[in-house]
Amino acid sequence: MRSTDRLLLAVLACVLAVVGWASTAPAAAPPTNPAASASATGLAAARGRALPSPIEAANSCASCHANLADAKLRTPAKEFSHSAHRDDRIGCVGCHGGDPRDPTVGAHNATMGFRPHPTHSEVPQICGGCHSDAAFIRQINGRLAVGQAALFNISLHGKLTAAGDPAAPDCSSCHGKHDVISPASPLSPVNRANVAKLCRGCHADRDRMARYQIPTDQFEKWEASVHGKAFAAGNPNAPTCTGCHGAHASAPPDAASVAHACGRCHEQEMQLFEQSPHSQGFRKRGLAQCVACHSNHDVTPATALMVGTGPDATCMKCHGHDEKPRKVADDIAGLLRGARARASEAREGVANARAEGLRVSGASYALDRVATAETKVRSVVHTLDPARVEAVVGEIDQAASEALSLVASAERDRRTERRGYYAALALAGLLLITLVLKARQLDRRRARGIP
Amino acid sequence: MSADTPSAGPLAWLRDRLGWTAISSSLAEHRAPRRSFIFYLGGITGFLLLLQILSGVLLTVYYRPDAAQAHESVERIVGEISYGHLIRAVHAWSADLFIASLLLHLFTVLARRSYRPPQELSWLSGLVLLVLGLGLAFTGAILPWSQRAYTDARVGSEFAHYFPVIGVWLQHLMRGGDEVTSNTLAHAFGFHVAVLPAAVTAIVGAHFFVLSRKPPGKVDAAKTDAIPLYPDFFVRQAVAMTGVLVVVLTLATFVDRPLGPAADSRLPSPPGALPPWYFLPAHAIVRAAPKELLGIEGPRFLIGAACLLLIGIAALPFIDRRGSRLTAGLAWVLLLSFILLSIRALY
Repeated sequence: MRSTDRLLLAVLACVLAVVGWASTAPAAAPPTNPAASASATGLAAARGRALPSPIEAANSCASCHANLADAKLRTPAKEFSHSAHRDDRIGCVGCHGGDPRDPTVGAHNATMGFRPHPTHSEVPQICGGCHSDAAFIRQINGRLAVGQAALFNISLHGKLTAAGDPAAPDCSSCHGKHDVISPASPLSPVNRANVAKLCRGCHADRDRMARYQIPTDQFEKWEASVHGKAFAAGNPNAPTCTGCHGAHASAPPDAASVAHACGRCHEQEMQLFEQSPHSQGFRKRGLAQCVACHSNHDVTPATALMVGTGPDATCMKCHGHDEKPRKVADDIAGLLRGARARASEAREGVANARAEGLRVSGASYALDRVATAETKVRSVVHTLDPARVEAVVGEIDQAASEALSLVASAERDRRTERRGYYAALALAGLLLITLVLKARQLDRRRARGIP
Repeated sequence: MSADTPSAGPLAWLRDRLGWTAISSSLAEHRAPRRSFIFYLGGITGFLLLLQILSGVLLTVYYRPDAAQAHESVERIVGEISYGHLIRAVHAWSADLFIASLLLHLFTVLARRSYRPPQELSWLSGLVLLVLGLGLAFTGAILPWSQRAYTDARVGSEFAHYFPVIGVWLQHLMRGGDEVTSNTLAHAFGFHVAVLPAAVTAIVGAHFFVLSRKPPGKVDAAKTDAIPLYPDFFVRQAVAMTGVLVVVLTLATFVDRPLGPAADSRLPSPPGALPPWYFLPAHAIVRAAPKELLGIEGPRFLIGAACLLLIGIAALPFIDRRGSRLTAGLAWVLLLSFILLSIRALY
């Protein structure tokens, strides 16, 4: 063998040795050094996070801690066994670092990134390490969304946490620590069914909120509101806290943006409001759009009584002495009153007819149209344009008239039928009298001996 | 008018072709009591059955025997179809009066001891008619598939479970399975419009055939209130039937038979729900029964005893061939028991 060949072989051997050593290093993976996590997150995301092989994915931490005498050390292992992170490819090392392949206390190896107690500001970075890596998350659970850390960082919660506020929440404050479970589970504190109570945990705490100078009655108000009642009744579309404030990117909507929060569900009302004279006026004066009339957490059912010049009318909060707005409010209130009366009359008429056993075919369809137009008029009111309101009220009038006309027709038919009943009864009575007379005639004939 | 005489007019032609003269002469020889109303009860019962059949056929045209459509179809009959309200009410009232008339007819036969030989077969066929009539009423009550109908089906089939020997089988047959489901409605419809009417028609035919072959004891023609069967008795029977028609039409016109809401198996039984009046005595017996009697389930014991009593009553023509006066007393005891048990069930 020539000397150049020997040199090549030696280089090849060195390369293989380096590659071999690299492949036996602890899992690439989810766990990253928290100190370097800020920069590593971006790097990992750029090159894609690798999953450890099944042999490497040993989790000696859980097996060892599960048998420790100290409950403080044993409980995390127990909770972890039921968590969404119990997958061995994530393991304890995913957040705490260390060497999970070492079955001894040597696993607590600081050089391997072991961190027994991640700090408050580290938590979002640790969670975000995996949950911002779409390629990695896809390998674990393709249904999971990514990017929560980025959203959290722009939220008020995230900013306070990053600023080192100990009272601000990090990921574990809402999702739990070792016992994190899927938000889809009804047992999860962030499940839709539980999230309002979760928020109340901090936001109803006066001592905790004192430093932020924000009210603590939001939950109570929401619970008594039209939204809270609909939620309690099981309406799947009723909003809880996250419905308006967002989840990870939660921030209190300000006066300029509140309509967009409401408009996520009440889209048509938002668009029509934008066409109203209120839209510009509110902007100029810095008034919170929807909230000015409907309030925020304690939204009550919107009724026609809100519009008008009566003592309870919302319009009078601002326009008590303005001539032109008062006239508009009066005009619209009059239209709504008329529509409500017509709709009630139609519903009552159909209900009474049905109670009498009349089916009134087609009335259900007419009443559905009344209800649809009523929903429409509640939206159109936001334009504050009497002409547009009148057009929709016309639809209510038309559908209500149709329902009442069907009732009248059914009642007319029933009256005609009744006359038929009496006629049948009269005929039967006449036949009875005839037969009685015939029987008497036969009696008389027999008495006279006529065969 | 003999068969050879040329016919004058369509009625005379029909009489001629039917040989009516001979039939009427034969009928005129028979005598019936003029005033005793009990002789008209059989005809009234038959007339009420005829009313049920005619109105039932009309209802069947629009009725849908499907759990999803049954209630709506009855709503349509009542609220939309011309005279559907009247037809349904006539059907319901004539069914109630049919059972009442049948019970009264059997009571008078028992009280007068008219079951004595040679009337064994007419007595037995009458009892079978009562059972079939109750079956028709029960299945008919289920068909609207309202909440009330659903409760009746559930409670009625629960009651059937207590019958000795055939209880479990009968309950399964009534429900069309282990529970009250849409199969129950399908079974009830099949029995109500086909099986039971066919059986009733056959038994009514047999009842009249037996009566014509072995008529009840002859009425003494010399008695002042004895009248020829034809035309006098027939005209009086027609008066009775027309009177019943007037009663049925009056009830149908002025007394409402509410349909109630559609059946919903998730809802509890309506509070204070009671079975139809003819099942009230059975309801009172089951409700008042202790948990256990002589080692047998209480309701089962009492229903079994009631069945034995009915079998004994059915066997009367063979046990009491001469017609003991005690039997008349038994009829009154039964009538009184029926009334008292019904009152007990109501309060």
